[in-house]
Amino acid sequence: MKWRHVFPKTTGWGTVSVFLVTLLILPTIFLMVRVFQPASENWKHIREFMLKDYMVDTLTIAFWTGVFSVAVGTTLAWLVSAYQFPFRKTLKWALLMPLAIPPYIGAYTYHGMLSYTGVIQRTLRDTFQLDLHQKYFDIMHIPGAVFIFTIFLYPYVYAITRAFFASQATSLIENARILGSGSLRTFFKVVLPVSRAAIVAGVSLVVLEVLNDYGVVSYFGIQTFSTAIFQTWFSFGDLDAAIKLAGILMGIVILVLIIEKWLRGRRKFSYSTTKVKPLKPTELYGWKKAVAVGYAGIIFILGFLLPVIQLSYWAVLTFDQIFTKAFVSYIWNSTFTAGVSAVMVVVVAILVANYTRMARGIVPAVTARLTVLGYSIPGAVVAVGVIGFFIFLDEQIKKILAAAGASPALMLSTSIFMLLFAYVIRFMAIGYNSIESGFEKVGMKFTEASRTLGMSWTETFFRVDLKMIRPAIFSGFILVFVDILKELPLTLILRPFNFETLSTMAYRYANDEMIQESALASIFIVMVSGIAMYIFHILIEKEPN
Amino acid sequence: MYVNISDLCFDYPGTKQKTVADFFLHMQEGEVISILGESGSGKSTILRLIAGLEQPCKGTIKVGEKVFCGAGGAFLPVEKRGLGMVFQDYALFPHMTVEANITFGLKRWKRSERKARLEEMLGLISMEEYKRRYPYELSGGQQQRIALARALAPKPSLLLLDEPFSNLDAHLQQRIRDELRETIKKTGTTTIFVTHDQEDARVLADRIVMVKGGTIQQVGKACEVLKETVTKQRVPVEA
Ligand SMILES: Nc1ncnc2c1ncn2[C@@H]1O[C@H](COP(=O)(O)OP(=O)(O)OP(=O)(O)O)[C@@H](O)[C@H]1O
Ligand SMILES: [Mg+2]
Repeated sequence: MKWRHVFPKTTGWGTVSVFLVTLLILPTIFLMVRVFQPASENWKHIREFMLKDYMVDTLTIAFWTGVFSVAVGTTLAWLVSAYQFPFRKTLKWALLMPLAIPPYIGAYTYHGMLSYTGVIQRTLRDTFQLDLHQKYFDIMHIPGAVFIFTIFLYPYVYAITRAFFASQATSLIENARILGSGSLRTFFKVVLPVSRAAIVAGVSLVVLEVLNDYGVVSYFGIQTFSTAIFQTWFSFGDLDAAIKLAGILMGIVILVLIIEKWLRGRRKFSYSTTKVKPLKPTELYGWKKAVAVGYAGIIFILGFLLPVIQLSYWAVLTFDQIFTKAFVSYIWNSTFTAGVSAVMVVVVAILVANYTRMARGIVPAVTARLTVLGYSIPGAVVAVGVIGFFIFLDEQIKKILAAAGASPALMLSTSIFMLLFAYVIRFMAIGYNSIESGFEKVGMKFTEASRTLGMSWTETFFRVDLKMIRPAIFSGFILVFVDILKELPLTLILRPFNFETLSTMAYRYANDEMIQESALASIFIVMVSGIAMYIFHILIEKEPN
Repeated sequence: MYVNISDLCFDYPGTKQKTVADFFLHMQEGEVISILGESGSGKSTILRLIAGLEQPCKGTIKVGEKVFCGAGGAFLPVEKRGLGMVFQDYALFPHMTVEANITFGLKRWKRSERKARLEEMLGLISMEEYKRRYPYELSGGQQQRIALARALAPKPSLLLLDEPFSNLDAHLQQRIRDELRETIKKTGTTTIFVTHDQEDARVLADRIVMVKGGTIQQVGKACEVLKETVTKQRVPVEA
């Protein structure tokens, strides 16, 4: 094998990309190295008495959320793809909207609605004179968490499967119909098997989100790996034990990814790229029509409408009290961190994506792979890796400065930079996928034309490529921005002292049993992500080719 | 000789067979050569090798005084070769006007010269009044002419055309072909063009190179090469 097949010459693009990607994976490498160091006393205690509970709770929630998400997501996708019923057009995109509500916000909202003074119990008491036992209204347990995760995360399965039905399964399904297969039979014998890969892709996103979550489980007082990592770090300050827990959680993630790969084979799916060749929907009549509208409607109401109305109501109620100078500064903090990180993500993504398309070889291929690594890693794990890495850096800097006779002034591990860096690691994949598909859509011909006309790679990049992928840059930025706005675990662990964003504020108030006061921050997050999603839905649907 | 290509080899990564093997070509200045062959015979790949869009695993390419690639892995990057290339689907930059497209390759020219060259090229293809339009506001034939003008504007040492007519209607094809021949002859540009259409090759080329499976089958004047294949093809019909 020749050197140019390994690391092709690319006038600096390769060097820059490899440097950036190395920087991004250093914390992960650091984590992997540290996992195997001798354990602390704390760790022995955790391993002996707690580990089994963490494992069981984490896996139970992930498993059942997976099962229910598949059930809800695929049936809804099939319903809106194959049948005609009232409100179908609206429901088609409305059923995506629960994704705009981060599960932790959903959890506070539901808890608030179901509490003794909440709207549901009050209505039952005042209107129906029903005073039921409190246990019927408690959702702060594992089944409750599964409900919350399912109702707010099923759209991953729904979106990918629906896109698959529209783009690839149409002819198969039509054939099954022509062969006289009934609708239920078609669904179980044809639709589910052929779309297995798409369903698996969707459900693995759901499971990764569940493993990433900290807000819901900590609020419900459930012991999972995420909460355990937080406790060992914040309560015991024991980084080594936290690293060990993070290592195990990472092991679970890798297992999930292996299972996913094994289940879906070689196919790749993304829910943003669809060539729409829709199935011709069958008209539903009578009770079937009612069931279809009722089912889809209830899911939409539970997953979006109800929580949003409740949050808006609370937000209005507490507006004067909450909308202070401090709140404005939280909006600014959120926007600033999300904006800066999203710009960094997009810039790195463009550099690396352009590099991997200009050169065939081992290094570019590996670089592309490593770039998207971060998204599967749960926030708490990224956080522990980044903290460990920055403390390590600080120690080195201290040593060097001490040797030079200066006193250390710079502390990286308490700066906002650490948080931004972690965001970039975690959300790089989203930006990268968007940019990469933008480049794929454009192809190489304009680039090649420009080069035959005497422009170097770099000149071509600025004069041609950058202009051609503008839509992809825009969508990549928005997607990352919104995801960071919603982010909780990384922000909680890595924020500088007293640095509050909208999501951490919502979390803090809700944990202090001030759910109504947390609503303004929550509704702000939900609105921004909702609007972004709505715009995207319109862009995707309107896209002619 | 003006163009000297010898011993050229190439394979795409992951393919076992050589995509191009032992390809050679020698041209005089101003000559027009057609590479003729079936689909998948490696014609586009040969053109991409000459342009520098792919790197050969072996062989030398020299044009004029410049060594494009040669012994010891010497490899001149695409942008330094000073070639003109017209792509099968033209690849006109959609975000630029006709004017910007044509002057794209003239970045190191003086402003006044660039302007003069633009007018000259527009005159050459008789499309003076279209310079403010965008590519999507032009017909297929017009786009093809702009692509040609864009490639010719920087006075390339060698012009490469990949199936220049394949995107055009049959009746348009003939007209554009005649125009193209006139334009090339007027500018005296040394040209290699790739086609699978014998008629294209007959009308345009001084000499024809027949390729099959990435290797040369035959080289010669149009009348020699084509007559032979015509009779060869007829044999089974008559038998
Ligand atoms: N990027 C690529 N990777 C791998 N193999 C390729 C690639 N591009 C072309 N090939 C293969 O190389 C061979 C030659 O392709 P090439 O495009 O040069 O043929 P062609 O003569 O131009 O055909 P056509 O008339 O259809 O354009 C084909 O067998 C093709 O499958
Ligand atoms: Mg070709």
